[in-house]
Amino acid sequence: MKEKILPKEQLPQILKTLLESYKVFAPIKKNGFYVFGEIETPDEIALNYLNSKIPPKEIFYPRTEVLFTFTKSPQGIDIQEAINPSESRVIFGIRPCDAKSFTLLDKFFSYGKFKDPYYQTRRENTLLIGLACVNPRSTCFCTSINGSPFGEEGLDILFVDLGDKYFVKSLNLKGDELLDQLPGLTPASEKDRFNMTELLKKVLASMTPEIPIENINTKLEQLFDEEVFWDQFSQKCIGCASCTFLCPTCTCFDVVDEETSSSGKRIRLWDTCQFPLFTLHGSGHNPRPTKRQRLRQRVMHKFSYYPKTLDEIGCVGCGRCIIVCPVNQDIREVFKALQET
Amino acid sequence: MEKLEKIMQDTAKHFLQEQKVDLIIGYKQGTIPLRTTPCFVTKPEDISQLVWNVCCDHDLTNFLLQPEYKDKKVGIIVKGCDARALVVCMAEGQIERKMVTIIGMPCPGMIDRKRIESELEPKEILVAEITEDQIHLKGKDFEQTLQKDDYIQASCKSCRYNNPPVCDVLIGGQPIELSFNDDLDEKLAELEAKSPDERWTYFTTLLSDCIRCYACRNACPLCYCKECFVDQTQPQWVGKTTNISDIMFYHMIRAFHVAGRCVECGACTRACPMNIDLRLITRKLQNIVKDRYGFEAGLDPNVPPPMGTHTMEDPQEFITEPE
Repeated sequence: MKEKILPKEQLPQILKTLLESYKVFAPIKKNGFYVFGEIETPDEIALNYLNSKIPPKEIFYPRTEVLFTFTKSPQGIDIQEAINPSESRVIFGIRPCDAKSFTLLDKFFSYGKFKDPYYQTRRENTLLIGLACVNPRSTCFCTSINGSPFGEEGLDILFVDLGDKYFVKSLNLKGDELLDQLPGLTPASEKDRFNMTELLKKVLASMTPEIPIENINTKLEQLFDEEVFWDQFSQKCIGCASCTFLCPTCTCFDVVDEETSSSGKRIRLWDTCQFPLFTLHGSGHNPRPTKRQRLRQRVMHKFSYYPKTLDEIGCVGCGRCIIVCPVNQDIREVFKALQET
Repeated sequence: MEKLEKIMQDTAKHFLQEQKVDLIIGYKQGTIPLRTTPCFVTKPEDISQLVWNVCCDHDLTNFLLQPEYKDKKVGIIVKGCDARALVVCMAEGQIERKMVTIIGMPCPGMIDRKRIESELEPKEILVAEITEDQIHLKGKDFEQTLQKDDYIQASCKSCRYNNPPVCDVLIGGQPIELSFNDDLDEKLAELEAKSPDERWTYFTTLLSDCIRCYACRNACPLCYCKECFVDQTQPQWVGKTTNISDIMFYHMIRAFHVAGRCVECGACTRACPMNIDLRLITRKLQNIVKDRYGFEAGLDPNVPPPMGTHTMEDPQEFITEPE
């Protein structure tokens, strides 16, 4: 663990150095909102942002990806797996909540006997450089879910904006090694460390108060069949997938084949528990036929099934689902209602 | 608008007390500034939840078609566009006129919170107060006043029927006249003047960000098919990926499906998490239907939609004599 200081005017130099050896993904502004995109020059980066609209999960887990292609030949069927070793990459400027989401995605994509090579290959060669949240949104609730605006989970290096300079902290061996290669860094002083701690206190104090969510999974289990409880939320849901598609921890996918008579490809694409088709059986039976059950699934999966199977809440409190919902469905209202039951 | 809000609440309460309706579908205050959220009131004493302001932009007609309200007498708060969507549903036999009590609101145009938020980021709005012509915003380290007319939603600027053409009661009794500068037709003329290749580029660029979340379809009051063509699996009509050809297929077919039916309420564009603006496509289709059939959707529940009917006068120059 190393602690350094970087004057802000030196940042382009750091990015230039990174661009020499890595593919760099960073927040950029596009169509009026922020997304993580590949940058080619330091000036493309837009660090003055709250958080990206689309979570950076698609860098490791694209919306659509070919798993393998197949061709028919006289000898049989020839299958070519589409796993390409990825080039070394850096995600720069990622928020702590999104970095934490990768630790959940890591667990999901390596759960049980099988490791997902598509995700793993992209993930392995990628360094994560975070940018602490000094200006969390009112919809942010990371602190309620064991997170922090200065959280370090999942990151290799953390940058904290101290006004005219960054406090730069490496968090593991990979981070240490990378810091050694970067120009313009000077050792952090005791005063810098103090300033950072004070800033964190200030930021925490400015955040929307924590929502108590202890025992949430057992409470949810008890309420599983309470139709009235779920209806108060699902009533206004229009059943689109904005909340899940823009969620950094949602991982559900569909697998489809696209084929001609002689060749084809198997494709994985984002899917969502909010669509009726997600659970429609071949027989025509649908175990989650109404939006009540589908909304319940979204909540149960993150706050009950995740804690049970992975011993962690499947949400990082980024608040994207609240901001993006066309009808202002607010997951915090569910927590509040749980407190009252 | 506060005056209208009070009259709206009183009217809705009256309907509930008289048991003319089983529930009222309206708007209540949302959980974040500049937002309202749909609300469903069944008890007269809860009526004070209902709000009416320039953030009431959801099209509530959407909810009427859901199975839980099938046999209920529903009172619904509607703006001009919502009322037109309701009329289309009636003309198409989806909603029975006698089951719905239409509480019409003269609409002054809704404000475009997405544009305001986007222009302000990284500042975040924590408190918003809206007066007759201004929007006062406050956040952590800022205060700002915007002129309301500068931030009216694009779909409201190009609205041609802001007062409900059909309703049981018009709250306040006075229609509002709108006079916004709108450039939609100008932009459409520009697009029409382009070559087919350039237009194709426009469409593919516009739609390339689509993530197939179907918020546009689900927010649309007229996308009410029980099974959408994109969800059909036997056979599967359309590829499910975010490859541009699959995306185009979805949006083009959906556009055809709303031709002569779309009331240009802008719900699709508002709901899109990727800020994809579909209004040039929908305006073009409605213009074609107006030119050819002299028809505008959502004005009269007794007139069947032109795409669902046939008259001998229909233009049919595309039918050619065999040689």
